[in-house]
Amino acid sequence: MVTMRSTLKKAAAGFSLSIVGLAALSFLATPLESGAATKIADDGLGATAQICPSGTTQVAGKVGVPANLVNENGDTAKKNAGTAYSDVQCYNAAGEMVAYGNADILYELPSSSLIPLGQQLYMQNCASCHGVHADGVLPNGTTGNYPDLTGLGPATINFWVTTGRMPAANPRDVQAMRRQPRLTVFQSNAIAAWVNSLQPATPYIPSPNLKGANLTVGQDLFALNCAACHTITGGGDALAYSTFAPSLHVATPTQIVDAIRTGPGNMPRFTGNLTDSQVRDITAYVAESIQKPTNIGGVGMGGLGPVAEGFIGLALGVGGLMLVSFWVGDRSE
Amino acid sequence: MSENVNDHGAADITTVSADAPQMQPLAKNPKGVEKAISALLLIGIAAFVGFGVCYWQNAAYWTYGALLGLGLLAMGAAFIAWGKYLLPRGPFVEERHVLASTETERSAFAAALMERGAGEIKRRKVLGTLLGGSLGVFSIVALFPLVRSLGPLPGDKLAVTDWKKGQRLVDINGNPVNITDMAVGGVLTVYPHGLENTDDGQAIDQTILIRVQNEPFTTMKGRESWTPSGYVAYSKLCTHLGCPVGLYEQQLELLVCPCHQSMFNVRNGALPQFGPAPRPLPQLPLAVDSEGFLIAAGGYNQPVGPGYWERP
Amino acid sequence: MTAVLKPRTKRQAKEAAGPYGKVGDAVAELDERLGIAKGGRTFLDKIFPDHWSFMLGEIALYSFVILLITGIFLTLYFVPSQGLVKVPMNFPYKPLRGDTVSQAFMSTINMSFNVRCGLLMRQMHHWACDIFVGSIVVHMARVFFTGAFRKPRETNWLVGTTLLILAIANGFLGYSLPDDLVSGTGIRIADSIMLSVPVVGSYLSYFVFGGNFPGQVVIARFFVIHVLLVPLIILGLVGAHLALLVRQKHTQFPGKGRTERNVVGSPMFPVFIFKTQGFLFMTFGVTALLGAFAQINPIWQFGQYIPSNISYAVQPDWYMGFLDGLLRIFPAWQWNAWGHTIPFEVTFPAVIFPGIVFNIAMAWPILERKFFGGDNEIHHLLDRPRDVPKRTAFGVAFFALLATLFVASSTDVLANYFHVSLNTVLWTMRVLTIVIPLVAYPVTYKICLELQGGGTAMGKRKRPNDVVRTAEGEYVATQAPVRPGDAHHELDATPVPTFIAAAAVLSEGEAMAETSDESNGARVVDR
Repeated sequence: MVTMRSTLKKAAAGFSLSIVGLAALSFLATPLESGAATKIADDGLGATAQICPSGTTQVAGKVGVPANLVNENGDTAKKNAGTAYSDVQCYNAAGEMVAYGNADILYELPSSSLIPLGQQLYMQNCASCHGVHADGVLPNGTTGNYPDLTGLGPATINFWVTTGRMPAANPRDVQAMRRQPRLTVFQSNAIAAWVNSLQPATPYIPSPNLKGANLTVGQDLFALNCAACHTITGGGDALAYSTFAPSLHVATPTQIVDAIRTGPGNMPRFTGNLTDSQVRDITAYVAESIQKPTNIGGVGMGGLGPVAEGFIGLALGVGGLMLVSFWVGDRSE
Repeated sequence: MSENVNDHGAADITTVSADAPQMQPLAKNPKGVEKAISALLLIGIAAFVGFGVCYWQNAAYWTYGALLGLGLLAMGAAFIAWGKYLLPRGPFVEERHVLASTETERSAFAAALMERGAGEIKRRKVLGTLLGGSLGVFSIVALFPLVRSLGPLPGDKLAVTDWKKGQRLVDINGNPVNITDMAVGGVLTVYPHGLENTDDGQAIDQTILIRVQNEPFTTMKGRESWTPSGYVAYSKLCTHLGCPVGLYEQQLELLVCPCHQSMFNVRNGALPQFGPAPRPLPQLPLAVDSEGFLIAAGGYNQPVGPGYWERP
Repeated sequence: MTAVLKPRTKRQAKEAAGPYGKVGDAVAELDERLGIAKGGRTFLDKIFPDHWSFMLGEIALYSFVILLITGIFLTLYFVPSQGLVKVPMNFPYKPLRGDTVSQAFMSTINMSFNVRCGLLMRQMHHWACDIFVGSIVVHMARVFFTGAFRKPRETNWLVGTTLLILAIANGFLGYSLPDDLVSGTGIRIADSIMLSVPVVGSYLSYFVFGGNFPGQVVIARFFVIHVLLVPLIILGLVGAHLALLVRQKHTQFPGKGRTERNVVGSPMFPVFIFKTQGFLFMTFGVTALLGAFAQINPIWQFGQYIPSNISYAVQPDWYMGFLDGLLRIFPAWQWNAWGHTIPFEVTFPAVIFPGIVFNIAMAWPILERKFFGGDNEIHHLLDRPRDVPKRTAFGVAFFALLATLFVASSTDVLANYFHVSLNTVLWTMRVLTIVIPLVAYPVTYKICLELQGGGTAMGKRKRPNDVVRTAEGEYVATQAPVRPGDAHHELDATPVPTFIAAAAVLSEGEAMAETSDESNGARVVDR
């Protein structure tokens, strides 16, 4: 009896402490985001607002794609689809078009002052496979093993180099994997400037403006165009014959627009079928909801779906309860 | 065989002393176990109260299930520990009574069925036949409203789509597709003009448009004019199980179905190259109208989607 | 009738009441009307054997209870309509704001985000379903490998197999209700499977969907079937399952004092009731913890089902995985002649194969009698799996086949994880599906024979062999002597006592303590 009482006293103390603790815990409530954050901002940007970088002249992009800037794979006649035929074009003092775009995405060309550095870096890192003229022709004359880089636009170089896929870890791989980049963004821009100087083309390197993006449009377009390869949660998966769609969880907004507009590797090229506004919305959706998924229900398990859920349910659920039954029941006599 | 005791209730009246070995708790230290169970139950009460507080205060999501679960586990463990360690340890035994009845009882049952039932039916053959007939007809016609009213007959609806000659291809937002729109390696899901937001348009007419190259090419004999400017269009419904074949690999020129990885080669008429799909994706013949927009040059020349009995 | 004075004091009331107080009076009143005492006592005395493997069915039973409870909550919020609504602009999940979705989807995301504990109930419901089917499978395996399905329990085996089929079907119907991209793809595949049935396929599809896919009625129809029809049937069958169990009494493993003519274990009341009640709470608790910490089916990330949308790496819930696996690896063998098509690449994996699997399962008691050396005798004692090598080997091979097909449903995940070509993985799974069961049978058979030859009696702890070198240089292995504490002493079984006699002479304090802490339910007779 005596021991019972003291146990009860201790228990009562612990009990009241835990109530206090739990009440305190409850104030750690993480309220869901209020509705205020994503008002679709209407900055009223038209062609008159200053979109071009400072030091350049902004011109309304009424003309079609300049003839000397056609991408080798063919370009679209649609406006605001990643080509120079956009809301605005930006020219420097020497009359070169150094940027184009609109309020949603600005495409910029790396400065021509980087060209000598770019040539040097290219020869050190890329020429052994892509040839000294960046055309895929090796010194011994063989061609066709590695792609011709000319006429593809600076965004192509930007994607492959800043994601670390190039320089290739194993040139004989069917598909290069993303890894720690070997060259900085500055160096990548230099190489892009030099390669582009051989045969100028678009798309330039994009800077998407994610403020005011419409995530609903982004999710709808992502589900229609991207989920078929990258999965609806952006985790990526294996495709045919040792190719694969990579995970989207670490791509930067620039790299995402790069990929959409240039169609690297086996990825389709989305040009005239998606406007810059739509590409911007998709990019915002990836950067917000794919890379920071709303897992209000607990551990997201990587968005792998029912396979992972089945494992957990069987191992922890049924397995755990089987452990309980080991305790409750007897073993064989 | 022992006597047939089928009467469950007439078990023996037994009396066992409270200090018989089987009546003792399993635990060597029942008081200690009692304390442990008390602690468990107190944890349970605390957890449940905590759950109530968290609900009232609209706390973080995880607290609800965690506290509820903790309380339930504690209560469950308490119950089990009490039942296992503090109650009489047993073991106890009961006799199995023979399930089967005696021969006499079985005969009586069978006789009741046969003599009173089947025998009567045999004696009045006409009535029996008519009764059987009426029950049979009833059960058949009862199925009419239960089954037939569920939906319309398929007719030939499975064999046709809404694509007609001269109809423009539009994307999900209703924009028509100009031949200067897409770059080589581009892909787009298209629907017949006006049907992009309808169930039929999305479920049956869905078509995948690919720009394979800049010049026309031939996928199969007889289809030389179907690919203006290198655009080719196939039904997006996989011929295996109807999943939308939205996965295009532009260097391999391969459409891969995301569900079960059937692979279709877009250059040769979407012939299945690997995987469980048995038939190629039907190809939609394309043409260009006077303003440069892509139109269908006709409908599909075969049913789209998975196979079914009536498919020729 | 003699006049009975109303008791005026508490002591008088106590004396007027019988030796068992109010409970005894209540029993008397009920028994006069319903005659429950005799049957009731038999029921309370029912013996349940204590082996742990007999608890697996309880996991299934209690997860079904949780499904019912959480399911009722869900039905209060879910709207089974495919009519379109717009998601409000202040909805907590930004990418869905202003989206046009079906009411089914809207009510589910509303329940997940805006209803307190709504997501917890949804997740608990889904986790409980996974545990339900998993525990049925584990329980079924136990029954199979120990031979508990033999005469007189074949009916119960049929009931149980039917329950498994219904559980799987209801699970599919349930996760298809929110009308999201992942489950909608599953419904599309189900439609194509219906189409593949020869002769009546197109009618089946049109009758279920009320027209062509997707129609406007399928979610509402699935809802009624999932919430009303199948649960009613399951409830009825579970009742039959338990009733048969009560009538035929539970099986037991052979052991001390256990014969074909008795059942040894714990009585229903109070021991088994306590333990099983505890198990109910444990199941509930495990499900609640899973629901709290492990996210399942986050449909807001998938979006509304649109028939022209698709995601890669979509799988059905795990218990349908064996069908998906076979659909992936089955070659493209269709039959096409005389103006008709039978798409065997669909009909076989999705219609014929599950038919074969479940028919073999249902018919197993008869199959075993005919082909695997079973007899027609009544059995209440269970087999050790090693003692029936043919049955065990067949069961393992069957399981191995199904397990391989489960693995085959994740070919893309395997190819991605191991950096192997998808095509290679697929061919590997085709080969393994044939090879693994063919290898599993003889290997298991041999293992059973080996274990039999081991000579240890049932359940006794194995003792190591002492290797001793004889004087001639020979090595001899003898079993080590029993270590203290290794021997398991079980008491002899006694019948369940009707009355518990007072304890023998104790000090008064102890006797008071014993009687006041009495937990057996029967009060000690007044001295």
